[in-house]
Amino acid sequence: MGGEGTRMRRRGEAGEARERGEARVGGGDHVRGGEVRGNIGESCGNIGARWNEILCSLFHGERFTSRPLTGEGVMASHTFLSLLVLYLYSFHLARPIHCSVGSNGFDTTSVLKEEFSEELLLKPLPDYKVLAHFHFTSTSPPSSSNGKHHHLFPKSIAQLVKKYKIRELELSFTQGRWNYDRWGASDPLSTANGKPPGVELWALFDIPTKEEIDATWRNLTHSLSGLFCASINFLESPTSYSAPLWGFLPNNGDLRYGALPREAICTENLTPWLKLLPCRDKAGIASLLDRPSIYRGHYHSQRLKLRSDGLNGIVIEQTLSVVLQPIDRTSWSMHQLFKKSLTGKCALAKSSKVFLEIEGSLVSQNENILELVGEADMVTNDQHDHSTIYQYNVERYSEHEALDIRVNWKKLLQVSFLQAPLHASRFLMGSGNERGSIAISLQSARNSTKGLYDNSKNCFTRVVIFQVVPWYVKVYYHTLRIYVDGAIRNTKDVVEKINVTPSEDKVSPGTLEMMLQFPCGMMSAALTLDFDKGFLHIDEYPPDANQGFDIPSALVSFPDFISRRIYPDSISSPLLQSYKGRNIVKSYTEVLLVPLTTPDFSMPYNVITFTCTVLALYFGSMVNVLRRRVSEEERLAKSKDKRRPGLIPLLISKISNKVRGIKEDSANQSQSSQPILGPKVVFKVVLIALIAVLGHYFLNTS
Amino acid sequence: MIHLSTLETDHRTPTISRKMTPSATSKTTEMFQRRVKLILVLDFPMISSYTTTGLSFSFLHNRTKPKEVQRVISSQKKSRKKFFTPPRRITWRLRSVLRHPHSTSSLHRTKMADETSAAAGTSTDPGAGTESNLRTTKPGTKRLFLTVSVLISFLLGAPFLLKSTEIHRSPLPSAAISSLSDHLHSNPPSFPCHFQAIFLSPFKRSDSLLSLSIAERIKAQFSAQSCGNCKFTVSVTVDSGSSCHHEGDAASAACLWECGGGGLVDAIEGRDDQGIDELLLSAVNERTGGCAGRVYSVFVMEGRDERIVIGKHRHAWMVLKDLDDSTSVGSMIGTVFGDYFMRGGVDKGEYIPVGSDGNVVLSFSLLNSNPSDWIYDWDFQRTGEVLLGPVLEALAPVANITMESQVLYHAPKSSISYWDEKLEAYVVNTRDLPFFVNSNEWHLDTSLSASGRSKVLQFVVYVPSASECPLYIRTPEGEMSKTNAFISPMWGGVAIWNPPGCSMQSQGIHIVRDALPTQELEKIIEIFIGQLRLLFGLNSNYVKPSPKFKFLASEKGFTNWELDLLYRQHTCFNLLSSLSTLQSLSTLVESLPRMIVMDEIGKQVELSLEAANLAEKNISLGINNASALSSIRARALAEDAFFHPSIMSISYSSMEHYFAIYMPFFAPVSLHVLLAAVKEVKRYFAERSKYLAFRASKLKSS
Repeated sequence: MGGEGTRMRRRGEAGEARERGEARVGGGDHVRGGEVRGNIGESCGNIGARWNEILCSLFHGERFTSRPLTGEGVMASHTFLSLLVLYLYSFHLARPIHCSVGSNGFDTTSVLKEEFSEELLLKPLPDYKVLAHFHFTSTSPPSSSNGKHHHLFPKSIAQLVKKYKIRELELSFTQGRWNYDRWGASDPLSTANGKPPGVELWALFDIPTKEEIDATWRNLTHSLSGLFCASINFLESPTSYSAPLWGFLPNNGDLRYGALPREAICTENLTPWLKLLPCRDKAGIASLLDRPSIYRGHYHSQRLKLRSDGLNGIVIEQTLSVVLQPIDRTSWSMHQLFKKSLTGKCALAKSSKVFLEIEGSLVSQNENILELVGEADMVTNDQHDHSTIYQYNVERYSEHEALDIRVNWKKLLQVSFLQAPLHASRFLMGSGNERGSIAISLQSARNSTKGLYDNSKNCFTRVVIFQVVPWYVKVYYHTLRIYVDGAIRNTKDVVEKINVTPSEDKVSPGTLEMMLQFPCGMMSAALTLDFDKGFLHIDEYPPDANQGFDIPSALVSFPDFISRRIYPDSISSPLLQSYKGRNIVKSYTEVLLVPLTTPDFSMPYNVITFTCTVLALYFGSMVNVLRRRVSEEERLAKSKDKRRPGLIPLLISKISNKVRGIKEDSANQSQSSQPILGPKVVFKVVLIALIAVLGHYFLNTS
Repeated sequence: MIHLSTLETDHRTPTISRKMTPSATSKTTEMFQRRVKLILVLDFPMISSYTTTGLSFSFLHNRTKPKEVQRVISSQKKSRKKFFTPPRRITWRLRSVLRHPHSTSSLHRTKMADETSAAAGTSTDPGAGTESNLRTTKPGTKRLFLTVSVLISFLLGAPFLLKSTEIHRSPLPSAAISSLSDHLHSNPPSFPCHFQAIFLSPFKRSDSLLSLSIAERIKAQFSAQSCGNCKFTVSVTVDSGSSCHHEGDAASAACLWECGGGGLVDAIEGRDDQGIDELLLSAVNERTGGCAGRVYSVFVMEGRDERIVIGKHRHAWMVLKDLDDSTSVGSMIGTVFGDYFMRGGVDKGEYIPVGSDGNVVLSFSLLNSNPSDWIYDWDFQRTGEVLLGPVLEALAPVANITMESQVLYHAPKSSISYWDEKLEAYVVNTRDLPFFVNSNEWHLDTSLSASGRSKVLQFVVYVPSASECPLYIRTPEGEMSKTNAFISPMWGGVAIWNPPGCSMQSQGIHIVRDALPTQELEKIIEIFIGQLRLLFGLNSNYVKPSPKFKFLASEKGFTNWELDLLYRQHTCFNLLSSLSTLQSLSTLVESLPRMIVMDEIGKQVELSLEAANLAEKNISLGINNASALSSIRARALAEDAFFHPSIMSISYSSMEHYFAIYMPFFAPVSLHVLLAAVKEVKRYFAERSKYLAFRASKLKSS
């Protein structure tokens, strides 16, 4: 068992070395290209401006002719000649131009061009769902004009990179949770695309000082929230982002990480994301994105990842992963899934491909579980036969013949995909609004990754846990307890490395980065941390405070396990290329919902009213008591008592009054109405009205 | 004492006291005659919808209350209602009583009875008898003092309460704002300019009429509302080679033309207009050394073919047949000065599309309506920078301009075009142009480099799809637009470019991918420069008043005198806009008396006002750079204050809120205090008058 594992690792290293070699060769090429360009630039300086222009235009012309010339080749070459003449002439007329402008013509833009490619990967999942993974790549070669002049590449992203000096950035919008149990946890697709619910944003900056990075991060969140119509700007506050050193991604302190677990994702986030594609959803693979279909899925993750360096320029990967449930479990087609058909590629895409990936476990167990309808352009397996890829080139299809891949399940069976070595889940313990504890449980997924373990004493599995906790959940890090196979273990034996940034009230969240070492034979492990619940200021509660507060997902990664799939070089695809990278197996845990003591928000006003009433009562009675004349009242009461008739005679007299009154009144109705509108009454009414009018007037004018 | 009871109430005949003295009786009668008060005690023991029953009238002396009446009152108080109809009989009796107070014996008797009981009361409790009309001791002031002091302390506390619950409002100098704004509106800032006319003719005699007619012609161009007028001085110089004669006033002697330019006439011969322009520029620089940049000159020469040329710099020259007619020559010179150098041939120019921070971003976009027909790319980076660079450089004093470009796809227009048989093209009518810009599909808006409040001007090249190609704009006259372009003020401009192969309607399999030919691109950029001029409020082409006029166009797009004009207008516009912003801010603040105004806003307003004052002063002094800078600063600060986040957010605590918080306490408490004070004061005066009456009677009796 162990032998297999090491072999795999060794192979991985070899592959890595090979890759590094390739990279070196590639790098050398670039350098050479640069030198050549540099030489031309220098010569341009020597010869002078005008010659430089000629050179420029020649170079320019070369670019034109490198186009595939077909029927109108002759015409094109004619136009090229005339253009050349005109071009020279125009510069002849114009005033001398600085050499720097001219040499810009030799810039990499004329050699390397901005490129765009679109891909879709479909993958049947073991629980009869389908994963559709859209992958769009745009590249912009390194150039001085980045952020200013663009042809295919989204200008706004280039400006973002330039303005905030971003080296790497990843923004994901996710709805639902990736089911690591069933949909796989250690293949590159799930490692890269399993994202925590809500918004997750991290960025690496090319800025030296910490303060500047923080300021840039704040501006970046605002720009992104404007760009993607999301409340990413909530990550601006220092209480919501952290700077992990190695738990998330090894870095030199220039990484910032923030997550908004409660952010809801919908079309208003998708539309700006689509705007970054040259064809948007008007043509090509993106035209499959029928909103009702994709938002009906079980998992929806929309991602933007960008890298920028001097060598490759800016590369953006835009991916959208959706897990859909076909109506008919046993048979589905692309048209059924998306309610749209793929009729052609985006005219601007360099390559436009649809892949169907069948996991090795589905193929190997029985060759006849799945049946494909439709002819693939290429079928290939990866190096370890983990999966089979069917490739379809969208270029071949048109409106008359749409691309529609159909998959039929012949036999229904329960299989699961490659699992991560440990299955992580996180939950809360304790009750009440005062304290509780967080527990992370790790269950060995032995059955599927059997070969990776042995019971020898020297075998350890390393696990890295990265967890950000908001300040109002006050974690006591000294209470960390680790259980292995049910028995408590000394933390020193298990923890290899730990980095704790304690939270500071209303200033920064707590960050826990922890590297653990478990014996390979372990079946389960659990970690617990106690915490107290903090009190928030009334302004700090969100609108739906009674729902509780979300603790962002923890990230559990396994640095010893690399998920990669290497496909033959005959497939040139940025998507499959990204599978080759050293992706560490990782999984996100659930989002926790912590109920905090929530005040009654109408309370302040109630308190004011209540207290005031009590005070007013007290005050009023005090005043009355002070000005009371007890002796006089007693005397009055006495005299009243003397003269007061009995209750019954009084009642009788009242009743009799009433009876007589009716008679009299009916007789004298005409006269009786007179005093109502007497001058006094009218005067009073007028006076009150006047006071009201004046009061209103003064209130309004002041 | 009179007691008039209703028929329903039992009239009790009181017994006449033996103790009663005649003097006392006569006294009460006297008092009765002096003060008679009608007290109506109304009784409705049971209210039915249409009738009233019991009614009792007490007609009594204001100080005494017979006990039985009091009893009736107290027993009937509970059911007292406003609405009543007194029986006729009672009204009648009341009238008769009022007419003859002494006539009824029963009334007399009642009075006598009360007098007796009052006397009895006095004898039993000499201190404080409420029922008695006389008291023997001085009324106490203890309770009066208490209640009044509470009231007074409340009144004294009220200012403190108001002060402590006051909303912080930084005082805005609204008086200064409105006075400066009024001053600027009645008297728009005018910049000192010097115009000089130079006659390069040996035969011209100097004429005082000339400068007058020039000035008159310039004054005709003045319009009160317009911004950027000149406060001009005119001088006329006749430089005949040998003699030199100055007339008119110059700002300083250094600005006067230094004679000796007789050789110019010969030098001009045989040169083209560009050459003359440069020659005159050097002459002006040489001969008006002191203020070369601030003086506008017109050179007048004699010659056969009449022509007037307005140069690229700050001068013009005219060749006239006849120089002797002072009025016509003067008006012609005045036209050049007034219509062009001062007003730029336009009468509006209120809006200059410059952001409040002085930045403008020119965003150039190439829009491919349908990339499945053809895809055009452009090399804007080079051509655009070559052609637009000088323009941006020239405009640098007015605005800091940056430019960027992008290519967008799938961007159809939103207005409908028709096939026009006559023009053999698809046409868009001018009235449909407002709907041409398709804000749903044209994603032009993203520019992160436009920081703060910069203005983004969009320039769009629209490449129509095959189904609407060639596309032209039809003028209302039914002709094709020459430029095939239009502008939208403050937004930018659109130019339609029809691809060359479009008439062939080639819908081949191969998508045409091409770059916009450089020559075409240059043409389009020229159109854009024209549009930029229009957007800045200048004419794209001058309408020549007569064929003699000629305008030299600058390769920079803007001639020097046009730039001066923009500069003046921009400064003036900034100044006016900053003041209008300040004024609306102060109006807003005044209209919401409970709005919080932060100190920062107050400071910004003050600084802005200061800058505006400075700008105004510098304008009148003719310090152009400083005035432009401070006017920009004034505008930026005013906008900062107006768009301050604290104003945008809900920082308005309303009066209603204030009342809602303080009412529960202060309404009941103040009611108590007030009533208690009123009652005590009333009672004190009543008791005192009783006491005084007692003293008076005592004095009389003694």
